[in-house]
Amino acid sequence: MPNSPLYFEDVEMGDEVGPIERSVTTGQVREFVQVWGARSEPSRFTDPDAAKAEGLPGAIVPGAMSMALMSQIITGWSPSMVLRKLDIVFRQTVPHNAPLKLQGIVTDKGVVDGRPQLECDVFMEDAEGTRLVIGKATVTVPARG
Amino acid sequence: MTSDQEIKFDRSLLGVEHPVGTFPVTREMMLAFSRSTGETSPAYVGDGSGSDKIVAPPTFCNIFASSITRPDIKLEFGDIGLFAGQSIEPRAPVAPGDTLTATTKLKDVYAKTGRSGTMVFAVWQTSFANQKGETVALVEESYVRRNRRAQE
Repeated sequence: MPNSPLYFEDVEMGDEVGPIERSVTTGQVREFVQVWGARSEPSRFTDPDAAKAEGLPGAIVPGAMSMALMSQIITGWSPSMVLRKLDIVFRQTVPHNAPLKLQGIVTDKGVVDGRPQLECDVFMEDAEGTRLVIGKATVTVPARG
Repeated sequence: MTSDQEIKFDRSLLGVEHPVGTFPVTREMMLAFSRSTGETSPAYVGDGSGSDKIVAPPTFCNIFASSITRPDIKLEFGDIGLFAGQSIEPRAPVAPGDTLTATTKLKDVYAKTGRSGTMVFAVWQTSFANQKGETVALVEESYVRRNRRAQE
């Protein structure tokens, strides 16, 4: 993350955000579902056999966890960026222990209700470049002066 | 082709708020959420200066949304259910010691027809408010039902 804040004037349409490289370990998923208080463990999120019983190739990352990863495209961009809305579509399941690339691109900028605002397309890709999760982020950012 | 009017489900649930529980928020939960998701921003994990001030990451309320039980809408369509998508609008900071109260409502049920056949979407909106009555987050979750045969 940049140490200094970014301002509205610093950002242009088409600017790329990230990428962030991640790999979600089974241990991380187990900790996440404990915070969540999942009531039926083992589940498709933590147990490969439970996942295979549901027709999945292996244990998968929970949607709420993928959502948190996607938000980090914005929270990791600059401390001055404030995420106002994140809208996500799950296109494919996200596996454990696999390299993931999270990235965004600024698709619009303007002033909405008096606030400088950015719209970004965001996505998560696997190592083959398949987009597993896609979405849109609405971000507010301060203007200079 | 299934029109929205032809979808069979319990329409009396549309727009009706259901209380789904209260959720105490602890610092430990917030830090575990950040640790498990690789979140390292100082606002969420502290800056190492000894200050204990942190707020929850913007999608934190999702952990509660994922665990709530919703009324059965008695949808008569499809034999496969999938989690299709989600949106979150963080409205106010969530801090350790907060107690969140959630209500959920069935916002919409609609049909879409594509190459793989007709799918019916049910959209639930869950609102989280803190102990001061401020809405801290709105979470929308979209579930889809489709026919297995249409997929093959």
